[in-house]
Amino acid sequence: MEKYKFYEDLSLILSRTNKVFAVVSLLILVLVFFCWKVQILDYKKYWNLAEANRTRESVIIAPRGLITDRNDIILAENSASFNASIIRENCRDYDRSLGEIGQLLEVAPEDLKTRIAKFESLPLFWPIVVKDNLDVKDVSRIESRRLELPELTVEIDPRRYYPFGSLAAHVIGYMQELSEAELKSEAYPEKSLGDMIGRTGVERQYESVLVGSDGRRLEIVDSQGRSRGETSRQEPTPGHDLQLTLDFDLQQRATQLLEGREGAIIVLDPRNGEVLALASFPTYDPNKFITRFSPQEWMDLISRADHPLENRAIRGLYAPGSLFKLTMALGALNSGVISEQTSFFCAGSANFYGRPFNCWQRGGHGTLSLADAIRFSCNVYFYNVGRRMGIDRIAEHAKLLGLGEKTGIDIPGEKEGLVPTPEWSRSTRKSDWYPGETISVSIGQGPLVVTPLQVAVHTAIIANRGHGVVPHLLMSSDSPQVQPSGAASSGPAAEKIKADLFDKVIRGMWKSTNEEGTSRGAKVKDFGVCGKTGSTQLVSRERAEKLGRTLKTHSWFTGFAPRDNPRVVVTVLVEYGGMGGATAAPLAGQLFSLYKEKNDRPAID
Amino acid sequence: MIDRRLIENVDWFLIGLLVLNSLLGVVVIYSASHYVPGDYHWRQLVFIGASLLALFLLLLVDYQVLMTFSFYFYGAVVFVLLIMLPFGRFISKGSWIKLRYFQVQPSELAKVAIILVLARLFSEYKKNQVSTTAALTSSGLVGLPFILVALQPDLGTAVSFFPLLLGSLILAGLKRNAVIGILILAFLAGIAGWNFYLKDYQKERLSTVVFPSRDPQGAGYHILQSKIAIGSGGFLGKGFARGSQSQLKFLPARHTDFVFSVIGEEFGFLGIISVLLLYYLFIRRLFRSAGKSRDRAGVYIIFMVGLMISFQLLVNVAMVIGIFPIVGIPLPLLSYGGSSLLANYLGVGLVLNVKMRRFANI
Repeated sequence: MEKYKFYEDLSLILSRTNKVFAVVSLLILVLVFFCWKVQILDYKKYWNLAEANRTRESVIIAPRGLITDRNDIILAENSASFNASIIRENCRDYDRSLGEIGQLLEVAPEDLKTRIAKFESLPLFWPIVVKDNLDVKDVSRIESRRLELPELTVEIDPRRYYPFGSLAAHVIGYMQELSEAELKSEAYPEKSLGDMIGRTGVERQYESVLVGSDGRRLEIVDSQGRSRGETSRQEPTPGHDLQLTLDFDLQQRATQLLEGREGAIIVLDPRNGEVLALASFPTYDPNKFITRFSPQEWMDLISRADHPLENRAIRGLYAPGSLFKLTMALGALNSGVISEQTSFFCAGSANFYGRPFNCWQRGGHGTLSLADAIRFSCNVYFYNVGRRMGIDRIAEHAKLLGLGEKTGIDIPGEKEGLVPTPEWSRSTRKSDWYPGETISVSIGQGPLVVTPLQVAVHTAIIANRGHGVVPHLLMSSDSPQVQPSGAASSGPAAEKIKADLFDKVIRGMWKSTNEEGTSRGAKVKDFGVCGKTGSTQLVSRERAEKLGRTLKTHSWFTGFAPRDNPRVVVTVLVEYGGMGGATAAPLAGQLFSLYKEKNDRPAID
Repeated sequence: MIDRRLIENVDWFLIGLLVLNSLLGVVVIYSASHYVPGDYHWRQLVFIGASLLALFLLLLVDYQVLMTFSFYFYGAVVFVLLIMLPFGRFISKGSWIKLRYFQVQPSELAKVAIILVLARLFSEYKKNQVSTTAALTSSGLVGLPFILVALQPDLGTAVSFFPLLLGSLILAGLKRNAVIGILILAFLAGIAGWNFYLKDYQKERLSTVVFPSRDPQGAGYHILQSKIAIGSGGFLGKGFARGSQSQLKFLPARHTDFVFSVIGEEFGFLGIISVLLLYYLFIRRLFRSAGKSRDRAGVYIIFMVGLMISFQLLVNVAMVIGIFPIVGIPLPLLSYGGSSLLANYLGVGLVLNVKMRRFANI
């Protein structure tokens, strides 16, 4: 070979190289032959095997823990639900089959399309649930068209079921499918597309306790998606049950009382913070979330002007109005700016800082002592008290008595409310506090806002003569992970305010209910109810006009019973309810009387 | 500095074939694994980039220099393999060393060291027939890492050292009787291994090559599923990312050792022919490069690199179509995995290195 002549002679090893390469080429040809045999000659055989021999991994959903009231009445359970699913790869003509399925299931084909679009990333053979909670009629209709519509299948799934529908919906919360964004956020590593999760209330708060761990099943399916037997199975572990502090009867009565109104009711045990009832109205049916809304239903629900999804008891912010006079009275006595005997003259109006402030009683109350001022809820008396105390001492006592901070209830979303101070005004509102505002705050108006639950806890602190509680819904659980919140503990109010001062204010509350006073609608014979009403001017006139209502005040009542050794606190708020004494107090009276009936035979007072 | 003439002599066509094959792998890896977390296709792209960089770095150093230091490379590799055995429990998982961000498989890189050290040995050997001394020395040089890797235990990679030895011996001139003798010896070693070394699952795999449907849920399962995947692909295949066998997570190691089954199922016989044709062109170009070598060592290097890649291809494809036991050898360039990819790129780098320095005066 010419080109190698200047170098060593490599022709021998090069020819050996070529020989080996020839062998390699030959072997590649052999492989081509075998592939041809498998893919072309035996194609039918392997195609059939592939069709008959598919596995599908499916999740066996772990039953979620039950939620019961304090007497083991089931509020949330699981029931079997029939789901209709579409297997996309079995569709012969996608649009036509969606049309037919839509007709069969009575679902608009566009809704089917948007639903399927959500699951685009799943493999084509995967069943996508398009309608659930089918009734027996639906199931039999689908089964009868099995052969015409191989893309439509029926599966059984355990589903959350709330036997009493909207009852306590705001406490229990609802469940919803995880969105794709949430799945990507890696906050839920165990979850997959289509899984449900507790969205609000107890369902969300105790998600990790209620949720079990799902099992898995590997099954062989044929090309129609029908199971041809399991190959392996891992059993699910059920979630833990929860017992709530709610009392079914009180909860039901509270919900009935609010029917047709907008507002919230809280019944609380002041001794340990157990929430016996927590109702917010208008409400919604949490079962609707489980069965997957149609987009139209969902839009209707979230755009309704009266916000049924909002839990007014923990998220509604209202001026406390006259309820705040309790704080004022306690604060004034404690700071020593007045004594129980201090009286002021009410002429129906008074001037402060060059501006007139009115009492709700046009003609005025005349000369009043503290207990009567509470009993008749006289504004002018408390204007004077407020001017003597000043905003800083007012704010200090409001905080001591549970306002302006979260109560710590074990459901998410609680609001903090606002106890205004000059510092707040400067830092948040960017304006100076002016003295006239102190006068407004003295009767629970101005920037001061509270939630109904804060008012209930506030009342419990007064009832306990200063001892605070953390309101809670969890009574017991078989899970070691969670423990109910602590019972009554001696709060800062008990250290800073003497117990006999509480007694002086409570005397006024007792008079207000049991003698001629604003709270007399809440009176229950032989139960010693102590209460206070409030009627707050609306913060925003515009909203009221938009809703087309006559401009009525929010109606408040809060109270406890019995006067000594209190066992129950009831707080009622009715939006646009008119005077507190006329609307809220009688509702509370019914709850006090039901509580007494249930717990107090014979009556002790 | 590298000479301009050297750059002109780089075989860009070979690099093109190499990268084309690798990118084809990324496409198939995507199809086989896009529905599981891990983003294997992106990672493979990173591996390709890194391997390409390593390949170009290798071109900067004359292969003669590399061969001078070949015993150091070899020694280092053997040392790493040796310490991996007792300390394996702490730092490695079988054949893998875990580093902070990725894992490396030193047994793959051992192939490159073995190629260099054998080329060095035989380059000084100019007779037409191999001597007993040379045969024994080379056997020892390959046997040591072979045993160390087989003990890890990674039989697949260990076995792929064997063709390097046999190939270099054939090139050096082995008598026909000697070739037969070696094959008989290998056969006897196989029987001994069957009785003393092989684990039960490996025996199962071997025996199910002959009878794949004997135990469809056990060891024969993988082979049968792989055959079903390829067979059901037919002539045109089921389409990209639409193979029911591979998408159903039915195939084991879909993006690594069984990536060829995914090609068969989704692109059919036509796809397989195309891929094998690409490989044939690539391998032919590798072997033909031997004629461009300026010396004996270069021929040995090119020959062994060609053999290394051919062997992996032949065994892997034979394995997934069910005519060879499952030994865990990846499809070169196409299977997911950085170490194997890097070893093959370094091998091709050596070939390019030899080819571009074919004029003795440079």
